[in-house]
Amino acid sequence: MKQFIINANCIGLIIIGLSLSFGSVGASAEVVTVISAKNPVTTLSKNQVADIFLGKANHFPNGNQAMPIDQNEGSTVREEFYLKFAGKSPSQIKAYWSKIIFTGRGQPPPEVTNGLEVKKFIAKHPNAIGYINNKLVDKSVKVIHTK
Amino acid sequence: MIKSISNKLTHIALIATLLYAIGANADDLEAPVFSFSGFGTLGLVHSSEDKADFTSSSFKPNGAGYTHAWSADVDSLIGGQVTANFTPKFTAILQVIAEQNYDNTYRPHIEWGNIKYQFTPNFSIRVGRTVLPTFLFSGTRKVTYTYPWVRPPMEVYSLVPVSSSDGVDIQYRIHISDFTHTIQANYGRSINTLPDGGTAKAEQAWGVTYSLEYHDTTVHLAYQHPTLTIDSVKALFDAFRQFGPQGIALADKYDTNKKPLSIITVGATYNPGKWFVMAEWTHTQICSFRGKGTGWYVSGGYQFGKFTPYITYAQATADNLSDPGLATPAATGLNMALNGILRTKTVQNTVSIGGRWDFMTNAALKLQYDHTSIGAGSNGLLINTQPGFQPGGNVNVFSATIEFVF
Repeated sequence: MKQFIINANCIGLIIIGLSLSFGSVGASAEVVTVISAKNPVTTLSKNQVADIFLGKANHFPNGNQAMPIDQNEGSTVREEFYLKFAGKSPSQIKAYWSKIIFTGRGQPPPEVTNGLEVKKFIAKHPNAIGYINNKLVDKSVKVIHTK
Repeated sequence: MIKSISNKLTHIALIATLLYAIGANADDLEAPVFSFSGFGTLGLVHSSEDKADFTSSSFKPNGAGYTHAWSADVDSLIGGQVTANFTPKFTAILQVIAEQNYDNTYRPHIEWGNIKYQFTPNFSIRVGRTVLPTFLFSGTRKVTYTYPWVRPPMEVYSLVPVSSSDGVDIQYRIHISDFTHTIQANYGRSINTLPDGGTAKAEQAWGVTYSLEYHDTTVHLAYQHPTLTIDSVKALFDAFRQFGPQGIALADKYDTNKKPLSIITVGATYNPGKWFVMAEWTHTQICSFRGKGTGWYVSGGYQFGKFTPYITYAQATADNLSDPGLATPAATGLNMALNGILRTKTVQNTVSIGGRWDFMTNAALKLQYDHTSIGAGSNGLLINTQPGFQPGGNVNVFSATIEFVF
């Protein structure tokens, strides 16, 4: 966001979008939903995962608070995640959150820059839920089997 | 104009940088106190009718057609919003928008500024300037990026141009299996300056809104009941009152001084992902020159990857568009003025075809072509009618916009 603001100051309106353009080319490895190894949850439906990330649900089915963590906008893993779990393209996700934000009903999940950061976040927050490339899965996190 | 908008953006961005810096102080990623978001539209509009202006709101003084062959004022705007999360239950929001004002400036105004207290996850109260939830897209009417069209169908949305209210609203949400019911009640007032220098006051305005969300379906019902005063027509009707009982009767019928206005709207959308269809119907009624107005539209589109073509049919009808006035030669001028006002009531239908291209994740390009047939004796939605303009007739409008959120 800071980068955007600087661009807007210097160059002007039409350039805005360009500075936010993203590269989405890359090999596609499988994206998996992960939670803390300490979290008792084992399975969730795709809809339940999507609801948590879209702010429609803020608890796991067992009643514990759920704290979603996103990866950066434009990252391949993020695009794959939302396509797989919510059936939505990056533009659709953007339009969805715009409706929520500009009607004062909420804010999207915080973002981190990559899968390693997701794991760090989950290590710190036992209620967190994130998504990473399956190659990054280790003992610190538990893959949620989606029905 | 781009430069002017850019300057506004700079100011908003500077404030945002400061607020963002404060927010970023938090040692963690959990809920920053302040978050900043923005949106904007850069648009160009051309109208085939050069003896009148096409514009997007009755609060705008001019537009495309007579004043400009191509007008950037019809749709262009820039908005910034700061949300403050003081505690999980106590939040505040400030949304500022710069768009063409009644006086042709782009001076920013506060669209929303309210504090919200969330008693429970499903029950909240807001105090301050809040959105007036008249229509399906009222909440994001100015955030054009959030809907498929260049602008919401005018046959419906122009019937209630007011978008915010100063007062209080309460919202209660109930989840029953996959159904989410939301009930909202609002009370407040809204005062807007008109391009003719007068004001439109909606006071003691109360309303009730119900919406239902079920998977891909949304249904919206609203009833709004403001007491309306439009002071710019007062002088005309005061003049009619000088003509004795008949003049007084006519003035009472058409004057707009503390007259109750009823607005009822029904709308629904169905959007399973690849395609969408939506429809809205609204009816307004007031004992004044505005009388009864009804508008509705049906719109549908299909998404081919990043390209979403759409088509809309919209229609607006109104009751009497003319009045014989007073049968005395001395009142000829007044009668003409009265009929001039009555002609501004909208009778028209429009077929719109357009397309949205999501060329980036947070920006879209839209092109839209509207073919409007205006009913006999009505100016339709056109303003600034010039000598030689004929009520009724056809108008073609072409619009192009670049829209973004950040």
